[in-house]
Amino acid sequence: MRSAAISARRRFTALAGTVALALTAAGCGGGTGSASADGKVTSITALDYYTDTAEHAQWGARLTACGKRAGVTVEHRSVPGASLVPQVLRQASSRTLPDLLMLDNPDLQQIAQTGALTPLDAYGVDAGGYAEGIRSAGTYRGKVYGLAPTVSTVALFYNKDMLAEAGVAVPRTWAELKKAAAELTRPGRYGMAVDANATFEGTWQFLPFLWSNGGDETRLDAPQAAQALQLWVDLVRSGSMSQSVLNWTQADVHDQFVAGRTAMMVNGPWRISELDKAATLHWGVAPLPVREAGQTVVTPLGGEVWTVPQNSSKARQKKAAQVLACLNDSRSMLALARQYHTVPSRTAVASRYAREVPSMAAFVRSVERARARTGRLGVKWPRAATGIYTAVQAALTGEQTPREALRHAQRIATGS
Amino acid sequence: MKRPPAPDRLSTLVGIVLLAVMLFPVYWMVNASLQPAGNLLRAGWFPRHPDFGGYATALHDQGRNLVTSLVVALGSVVLSLALAAPAAYALAQFRLRGTRLMLFGVLVTQMVPGIVVANALYGAYTDLGLLNSRLGLVLADSTAGVPFSILLLHAFLRGVPREIVEAARVDGAGRLRVLWSVVLPVSRNALITAGLFTFLFSWSDFLFAVTLNTTDTVRPVTVGIYEYIGAHTNQWNALMATAVLASLPASVLLVLAQRHVTAGVTGGAVR
Amino acid sequence: MRRAGSLRRPRLPERVTRWLFLLPALAYLLLFFGYPLVENVVMSFRQYSASTFYTGEAPFAGLRNYAEVLPSDLFREAVLTTVLFTVGSLVGQFVIGLALALFFQRRFPLNGVLRSLLLLPWLLPLVVSGTTWRWMLDTDTGVVDRALRDLHVVSSGVPWLTGTSEALVSVILVNIWVGIPFNTAILYGGLQAVPAHLYEAAKLDGAGPVASFRHVTWPLLRPVAGVVLVLGVVYTVKVLDIILVVTGGGPADATQTLATRSYALSFQQFDFGRGAALGNVLILLSLVLALVHLRAGRRALDSRGVVR
Repeated sequence: MRSAAISARRRFTALAGTVALALTAAGCGGGTGSASADGKVTSITALDYYTDTAEHAQWGARLTACGKRAGVTVEHRSVPGASLVPQVLRQASSRTLPDLLMLDNPDLQQIAQTGALTPLDAYGVDAGGYAEGIRSAGTYRGKVYGLAPTVSTVALFYNKDMLAEAGVAVPRTWAELKKAAAELTRPGRYGMAVDANATFEGTWQFLPFLWSNGGDETRLDAPQAAQALQLWVDLVRSGSMSQSVLNWTQADVHDQFVAGRTAMMVNGPWRISELDKAATLHWGVAPLPVREAGQTVVTPLGGEVWTVPQNSSKARQKKAAQVLACLNDSRSMLALARQYHTVPSRTAVASRYAREVPSMAAFVRSVERARARTGRLGVKWPRAATGIYTAVQAALTGEQTPREALRHAQRIATGS
Repeated sequence: MKRPPAPDRLSTLVGIVLLAVMLFPVYWMVNASLQPAGNLLRAGWFPRHPDFGGYATALHDQGRNLVTSLVVALGSVVLSLALAAPAAYALAQFRLRGTRLMLFGVLVTQMVPGIVVANALYGAYTDLGLLNSRLGLVLADSTAGVPFSILLLHAFLRGVPREIVEAARVDGAGRLRVLWSVVLPVSRNALITAGLFTFLFSWSDFLFAVTLNTTDTVRPVTVGIYEYIGAHTNQWNALMATAVLASLPASVLLVLAQRHVTAGVTGGAVR
Repeated sequence: MRRAGSLRRPRLPERVTRWLFLLPALAYLLLFFGYPLVENVVMSFRQYSASTFYTGEAPFAGLRNYAEVLPSDLFREAVLTTVLFTVGSLVGQFVIGLALALFFQRRFPLNGVLRSLLLLPWLLPLVVSGTTWRWMLDTDTGVVDRALRDLHVVSSGVPWLTGTSEALVSVILVNIWVGIPFNTAILYGGLQAVPAHLYEAAKLDGAGPVASFRHVTWPLLRPVAGVVLVLGVVYTVKVLDIILVVTGGGPADATQTLATRSYALSFQQFDFGRGAALGNVLILLSLVLALVHLRAGRRALDSRGVVR
C-alpha cells in the first residue's frame, strides 16, 4: 500500500493551497538539473566524504579526469564522514541523490537495502578480479552495487624522535603499549591517540583491538571484548591518552600527531602523503600491538566503494557508471594507491603494485588478511557498530565498566 | 530634584569589566579568526600579526552560503511582516470576537518545539518539492518571525488612538487603505523592530536549515559552520572567520539600531 | 458621496473584510504550527525506516513506538538531562541576570551603551556561540582550561567536553551565557517600573539595601520575574542548536535531551515514528509547564505593551 504517511501529507497540501496562491508568485525552486534540452548529459554530480582540503582537491582532479573521458564535467561535493549516511538517506527520500556516490564499504549493504542504489551489472561495469573481502562488502543479495578502487587498513604510527628520546621500543603487545605510552607522555603531549568518537569511525578504530584478541561483533559481551576495551580505558585513566579522544575524528588524531601532541596514533596509510609533508616529523609505522605475543593482528578492511544511485535519468546513470568504471580501472587503481599509500583492490593489480613499490608490500599482505565489517552481520552491522561505539564512550567516560558497557552493546547489536 | 549626583565612575569601571567578561568569547572568536592558517591548536592571547587568510578562505568557501542566509532572512522579513501587520491591526483595532483566544493561540505557538515542526515539515516538503528551496526555508524560518511580529505589532497598535483610524474611515478610505497609509506609517518603529528581529531569527536558524536541506543548493551559513566542524580541523581560523562574518548582522544592527533592538527584547521576548 | 456609499455598505461583507486581514496569518499559523502538531501524533503511530520515504511505506504500528521508547534507559536519561539542563540554565540566567539588572539600576556614565552591548551574546546565531565555546572549552588546547591552569585553579585540565557531568555543566554554562542578556533586559525593565518614592519611603523607615530589596523590589518585580521564568522554561526545554554544536549530545549520550534525541531518531536514523513520539513527549512536558504559562500568559501579553 502507498501508505497513509503520504495521504496524511495531503492534508498539508490541501491546507497549503490557501496560502500557496499568495506565495507561488515569489516561488523559487532549488533545481540543479544539468541535462541540456536535447537530453545530452553534460555534467553529473558526485558526493563523497573527502573533506580534507588536499584530499578533496585530489579526488576532484581524478573525477574531472574520468569525467572528461566520459564526456561530462563532475560537480564534486564532500561532507564529513559521520554525516554522509544520514545525508544519503535524506537525499534518497527527497530524490536528490547524486549521480555518483561514494560510500564507506560497511555502509553499502544498508543503503542498497533501502533500494537507493542500482546494481552495476546493468551498465556492464567489469567487477571481476577483486579481492574477496572488498567484493563481498560491495555486494548485496548477490548483486554488485559498489566497487572500491583501493583498500586499506589501520596501523600504529609513531614519532621516531620521541621514541628515541624516551628510549622506548616500538610496542608489540598491549603491556608494551601501555608502558611505552606512559613513558612517552610529557606536559602538553600524550603517549597515544585513537579515535573514540561516537561514530562508526570510532568503531572502526576499536575493531583491530577487538578482533586481534579473538573478540567478535556477534558476541560483544565476551571477555575478549572487555579486555580490549579495558586497554583503552587504562590508557586514558593513566593519562597516557587524552580523554578528548572521545571527540576526536581520525583527522583530529592526525593533526595531534603532526603537531607533536601525541607520540603514537592509530591511523591509516592514506595519511602518509600528508605526514610526509611535515618536514620535521620523523615517523614510522608498525602493526598494531596484540594482547599477547603470538596473537595475529586482525584489522578491519577499509576502503570506499563508488556506487550509482537510483535516479530519474538513465542517461545520467550511464555516464556515472562510465566514470565509476574509469575510477576502478587498473591505471586509476595504481595511481590512487600510490597517492594514498593504499592497496589496489584487484588482486592482480595489487601484486604488481607490491613488486613495484616494495615499501607497500607489508600493507598489501595485511590488507589480504583484513576482515570486512559486514562479513558476519551484513545489513545488521550498523547496529553492532552503534553498540560498539556506545560501549567505548560509556567505558572511557567511566559511566560503566568495560564489561557492563559491552553487555549493553550486545543488547543494542541484537536489538533486544 | 536635589543636587545632581557626581558621576559614578567606579560603577562605569565595574560595568566595563563585567561587559568584558561577558563578551570575552566574542573577542576570542575574533582573535582566533586572525590567526594564521594551519594547526591552530594554540592561539596567542592577542593576534600580534593579524592574518586575514582565514577570511579569504571563509569568503571563498562560505560566500555563497552567506548570500543564501541573507536572501532567506530578507524573504522571511517580507513574509512575516506581510502576514503579521494586517493580522495585528485586525486584532488590535477591530474588536473581533475571539481576539483574546487568538492572541493566546499565538503565544502558545512559542511552546511548539522546532524539532516537532521540522519532523512534520520534512515529509510535507518532500512531497511538495519544497526541500532544498529558498521558498521552503523562508516559510519555515518565519515560524519565529510571524508570531513574534504579531505580538509585537499588536501591542503597539493597541496603543494607536482609534480616532486616527476612525477619522480616515470617515474620509472614506477602505480598511486596506487605512492600514497602508495611516496605520503602517505611524507604526514605523514597531515595524522596524519586528523586521529586525525576524531577520536575526532567520539568519540564526540552524534547525530548519539542517533538516530541510539535503543538497548544497540552499545552504545557509549556520549549516556551513556546522559542517566545518569535524571536516577541516586544521582550519580553525577560517571557521572562526566565518563565525565572525555570521555575527556581523547582529553586531551591526546592535550598533546602528540600538533603540529598536532594546525595544524588541523587552517587547517580544522570543527565542 | 463616497462617504454615503461606505455607510450604505452591507454589514456582512464588512465583517468578512475584517476577517480577511486575519486570514493569511491564521492560515500560516495553522499550516506551520497546527499541522505539525497533528502530523506528529499521526507519525508517532507509524513505523518509519530508512526506506520509508523512498518506498512510501510507513505501516501502522499502534503504540509500538511509544512502547519501545518510553521504558528505555535512554529515555529516562533524556528526561533527566532535559530537566537538569532547563533548571540549571534558568537558575543561572535568572540569578546573574537579576544581579546585572540591579547593578544597571545605578546611574553612571555609559550605562545605556554598556547595557545594549550586553545584548550581543543573545543576538548572535547559536551555532556561532556554540562553535566558539566548543573551541574555548577544549581540555588540552582551550583557553578556559589554559586560564584556569595559569591561575592555578586546577592542576590538570577540566574535561569540559569529555567528562559526562562536566559536559552537561558546559552546555548549561553556554546556555546561561546566551540567556543572561535577555534576563537582564527584561528584569531591568521591571525594575525601572518600580516607583522611586517607594525606595525613598523604605529608606526613611531605615531599611538597608537587602531589606528594601525584599520588601519593595521583589514583591513588585514578581510578575515580571514570573514571565521571564516561564518564557525561559518554554524556550529552554526545546533548545537544540547549542547542544548539537557544543557536544553533539555526547560524550556517552550525557547531554542528550528530548529534543536532541528526537532530532537524532528522525534525521540521523530516519526513524521518524519514534522521533515524533519523543517530540510529543516534549510537547507534553511543555504543556505541563504551560499550565503555569497560562496563568502568566496574561501578564506576558500585558508586559509586551512596553514597546514604543
